[in-house]
Amino acid sequence: MTNNFQNIDRIIQDKGSEKKNLIPILQAIQHEYNYLPEETLKYLSEKTAITPSEIVGVASFYKQFRMQPAGKHLVKVCVGTACHVKGAGLVNDAFRRHFDLPKGTDTDKTGEYTLEKVSCLGCCTLAPVVQVDDITYGHVAPDQVDKVIEDFESQQGKKGVKKFRKADGSEIKGEIRIGLGSCCVASGSGEIEQEVKRVVNQSGLRVKLKHVGCVGMCHQVPLVEIVPNEGEPTLYAKVKPEDVKNIVESHFEPPNILSRIKNKLFHFAEDIQTDRNWDGVQRYEISMREKPVASFLGNQIPIATEYRGMINPLDIEEYQKRGGFSALKKMFESLTPDEVVAEVKNSGIRGRGGAGFPTGVKWEFVKKEKNELKYLICNGDEGDPGAFMDRMLLESYPYRVIEGMIIAAYAVDIHQGYFYIRAEYPLAVKRMRKALEICRENNFLGKNIMGSGFDLDLTIYEGAGAFVCGEETALIASIEGSRGFPRIRPPFPAQKGLWGYPTLVNNTETLAQISYIIREGSEKFKGIGTQGNTGTKVFALAGKVARGGLIEVPMGITIREVVEVIGGGIANGRKFKAVQIGGPSGGCIPAEHANTPINYESLTEMGAMMGSGGLVVLDDTDCMVDMARFFLSFTQDESCGKCTFCRVGTKRMLDILENITSGKGKKGDIEELEKLAEWTNKGSLCGLGKTAPNPVISTLMYFRDEYEAHINGVCPTGKCTELITYSVNDNCIGCTLCAQKCPVDAIPFTPHEKHSIDTELCIKCDSCRAACPVDGIDVK
Amino acid sequence: MIKLTINNKEIQVENGTSVMKAAQQMGIDVPNLCWHDELEHFTSCMLCLVKDNGNGKLFPSCSVQTAEGMEVITDDDEIAEARKTALELLLSEHVGDCEAPCHMACPAHMNIPLMNRLIAAGKFDESLEVVKRDIVLPAVLGRICPAPCEGACHRKTVDEPVSICLLKRYVGDEGAEPEIIPAKKTGHKVAVIGAGPAGLAAAYYLQLRGIQVSLFDKAEKAGGQLRTEISGEILPHDVLDKEIDLILKAGVEFHGEKTIDNETFAEMQSSYDAVVVAFGAVGEGKKDFGLKSTDKGIIADRNSYQTSLENVFAIGNALRSSKLAVRSVGQGKEVAFSIWQYLSGQSVKGEPRMFNSRFGRLVNEEYSEYLKESVVAKRTYPEKGGHNGFSAEEAIAEAKRCLRCDCRAIDDCKLRIYSDRYNADQRRFKTSERRKITKLDTHSTLIYEPQKCIKCGICVRLTEKDGEKFGFTYIGRGFDVEVGVPFNEELEKALTETALKVAKGCPTGAIELKDNKKQTT
Repeated sequence: MTNNFQNIDRIIQDKGSEKKNLIPILQAIQHEYNYLPEETLKYLSEKTAITPSEIVGVASFYKQFRMQPAGKHLVKVCVGTACHVKGAGLVNDAFRRHFDLPKGTDTDKTGEYTLEKVSCLGCCTLAPVVQVDDITYGHVAPDQVDKVIEDFESQQGKKGVKKFRKADGSEIKGEIRIGLGSCCVASGSGEIEQEVKRVVNQSGLRVKLKHVGCVGMCHQVPLVEIVPNEGEPTLYAKVKPEDVKNIVESHFEPPNILSRIKNKLFHFAEDIQTDRNWDGVQRYEISMREKPVASFLGNQIPIATEYRGMINPLDIEEYQKRGGFSALKKMFESLTPDEVVAEVKNSGIRGRGGAGFPTGVKWEFVKKEKNELKYLICNGDEGDPGAFMDRMLLESYPYRVIEGMIIAAYAVDIHQGYFYIRAEYPLAVKRMRKALEICRENNFLGKNIMGSGFDLDLTIYEGAGAFVCGEETALIASIEGSRGFPRIRPPFPAQKGLWGYPTLVNNTETLAQISYIIREGSEKFKGIGTQGNTGTKVFALAGKVARGGLIEVPMGITIREVVEVIGGGIANGRKFKAVQIGGPSGGCIPAEHANTPINYESLTEMGAMMGSGGLVVLDDTDCMVDMARFFLSFTQDESCGKCTFCRVGTKRMLDILENITSGKGKKGDIEELEKLAEWTNKGSLCGLGKTAPNPVISTLMYFRDEYEAHINGVCPTGKCTELITYSVNDNCIGCTLCAQKCPVDAIPFTPHEKHSIDTELCIKCDSCRAACPVDGIDVK
Repeated sequence: MIKLTINNKEIQVENGTSVMKAAQQMGIDVPNLCWHDELEHFTSCMLCLVKDNGNGKLFPSCSVQTAEGMEVITDDDEIAEARKTALELLLSEHVGDCEAPCHMACPAHMNIPLMNRLIAAGKFDESLEVVKRDIVLPAVLGRICPAPCEGACHRKTVDEPVSICLLKRYVGDEGAEPEIIPAKKTGHKVAVIGAGPAGLAAAYYLQLRGIQVSLFDKAEKAGGQLRTEISGEILPHDVLDKEIDLILKAGVEFHGEKTIDNETFAEMQSSYDAVVVAFGAVGEGKKDFGLKSTDKGIIADRNSYQTSLENVFAIGNALRSSKLAVRSVGQGKEVAFSIWQYLSGQSVKGEPRMFNSRFGRLVNEEYSEYLKESVVAKRTYPEKGGHNGFSAEEAIAEAKRCLRCDCRAIDDCKLRIYSDRYNADQRRFKTSERRKITKLDTHSTLIYEPQKCIKCGICVRLTEKDGEKFGFTYIGRGFDVEVGVPFNEELEKALTETALKVAKGCPTGAIELKDNKKQTT
């Protein structure tokens, strides 16, 4: 046996043979085999001091590790919050049918495909999203899964496959948004729309045309926003119909070379004739300098995302040119560590990870500890199914986060730090790894940084998929090579953290804002936001809003401003119902409370939480009980299983919610749910369990009537499949589209006659309703 | 030293003492399941929650250290609710029976599985001793009892139930009478009116408690309806007489042909410390001696059998007409306990019933798991047929069919003890289907029943600490986490040196020694 595992020997040699190396070792083994073969693990236990118990305990704890071989291709259905509200569940069901997967299996019979649900691929604006290996498909409808696979297979072996594709196989290059607020319409956006359609159709471009509501920039109408899949979106103001062509073509290449040449020639002639070229377009990029779209809508202030869309993530010179590392220079030249701490304290910045503990105070705690060895950890274990700020910060501004780390280390007297980054963020890991290398080369890391005499080394630790590891004690356990079990605090990591030494754990976003505070001064930072809630917060805005994406807003901004001004209001003319803030730890705040300012205290008061920064907008078609169920199924799945209230409490809450949403709810369930929520909050060991009931508590607080309706057998929004039936109404024109789409032949093929649905056969996949051209399907 | 108050009393403890340890130093028992004296705190079960009086918040006392000036409350309504809820959550995933269903179904609450095991081991005399703890007329009931216990037998759902009634008859007939060791005389005197199954049982168990009984009956011989209503073919008189004689031998004074009227009753009430009314159905024209009653019978407390008159207790058909002699016998035993409580000045609550975890119906795929501790065999019917009982071989063969549903940890399971203390309701969170029971019995001395595990991790931590090569580990996470042996190795490999310690450390019945002395003797 021994001879067969030279690769394992190599891995051990490479990664180390101690318990703290266990997770990297397992990651390497999985990389080699695509799963963790038991023989390799047994071999590992024989060759190292790591015990079988530790190996199996860790391997089975983290989501990343598979104990069974997976199919050749991985189909990841995103079930993050934004995708969930746009029907990801039905898409997942459709894939299960497509691959004919019996309950409990995820790999199809041929061994080709493995289906996996993932929480947030970070493409919320394309929801629902499916990733097959490294090709991403957006806007996937349940009846399109065959096409997705067909297209994926047709792309096999081809080089340079475009990474974003529409479910029907065509590439989506992006989205064109046209303002249709009343001001926009009055200013002629209708004409613009016609022109956009014409241009798009002529060029054969694959872009989505989307109507957005008022963006609050009525003085600049009509507005056209171009949102390519990669790169930053751009907004054009006061657009005239004749500008459209240039605007569109400057962002999107027509689909094939021939038509592109044709277009170019055509252009040329046109330009000569009309003397109109790109510069002739009135181009408003309304932000100060060239700000990315989202960031000049409404009251946004980029701090963590400063120079968004303008700097190449790894270009260290560009970063320095734009003020990067000037905070370090200032600090090393003129500030003592105590002064840095005082500055951070004075800025009022609070931990952006969700709980909002004052960062300066945390620094002080660690500083106070007199220990030779102290550690610094950047917490990049973002796991909220609807948030990806940390990933964006790590990918796009690695130097800014590093700069924040250096400042923190200097202030607190730490010489060794870690980036804890989820393994699900390979690009972030790659970029950061490169950025660290470049920093070392440029003496921003290592010995005697910038000649200051201060030493710091930073390394990356890849998490292995456990939401609970966002909790600092669990994160530390994870770096130590253990299962991500949180432990009681005190002792806080500030006193006893990694390997028992004082440890400062800060969230990625917090660290990304530190350099600004030092560079610009704490007073300036304090001037942003409100008292007690200073500075800005990055949110992932998604859901039923017209314009989703990452935003950075000052603390204290109202929900309404975010939804209506920045997000462009609700898409498709639906009604704004609520926002879900804070993901699995947060809650739903209803539209009538949209004037609530976004800060730590007011959100908590409203039953939500700043949490990780997911902000999902819901419309009147969203079922609030289903939302609660969605989040509980997430936390239940992510509970580490250590303490009773979280392990069993979240499970029982989910049971009750599942019963309620499937028509099995009974009298007393709501009250029991409330009790259980109260006790899971009070009795759980760590933040995950303590906040897990929030989605339930807040929806019960504002939407109790929906729970009661479910108990009485009705889902008011028609979302809960077991409480609804599909039927055909008199609008039906007998076109048979629904019959063709129905995957279970529940609709007889009766051309020219009103169709009917066999409710016994119907699986409520919604394909018929989506296919119907005349609104002929009722869901009740 | 740290000074703090616990339940408003001041205490000084060493630095680094946990709140739970400090409370223990004051003699306060803080419930805990995941705590083990040889191990670091783990904070899993959350039963040790106590309250910080300063901020009103609950915290786990096993892992929070005492601090100067701390004010701790270890028990109040909120804390009790927290513990009760935690227990109910744990019970909702704890799949197993404490007492076997037959034991619980038996109106006399007889320890049937223990009787079965002793018979299977050929220990008939010991078996009879066990039976007689609850049933004073085993040979009689072994002939006439409709055996509700057999209706509850887990084996019934997949096979035929164990022939419990005939087994009891066998030991009643063949077992050597246990030596009667009556308690020290208390000096108390009790009159029992009616010498049917209820009165006989009451007389016997009172007598065993050192209370002098005078047993009255209107008939010449004791036995009541057992003598008059049942054919001699089914219940031969010599069988009945033999068992009645044994009762009287315990010291009971029997007074036959004694009719009690209101006057004599009043007299008895004053000349005896207590009176037990066990004279059969209170039909039309029958007297009730002024006790509060309904058409059906005399009204008495359901648990203590105390009537509207403080020193009068009523049992058997006097409460409600029934053909279930075993119930009357059981009540006779129970009333003896109530009267003992009454006479010794305690509050009269009746015999306590411990909390019992129950999982409901056994399903097919679990049957094979249970068979690991039993035998594949059809129900035994006495070869001689008719009204005959088992032979010794038949009895042993039949007793071996018992599935051993009762829990090995029944006497010292902390989960059960606390569930009892906090009045936990196992069915509260019965919100989804339960897990299927499995039993791992490949270890030479231990048996592991994973569905009873409450994930406290004591075994995982003990085997780690003591350097077991394989040991136990957590597998998976969240609600689906299981405790098992890495790489699916055999239990024998996982637990070598630590086997005994782990079995002792398990706070519930998940890992137990196969040969639990208490439960085979």
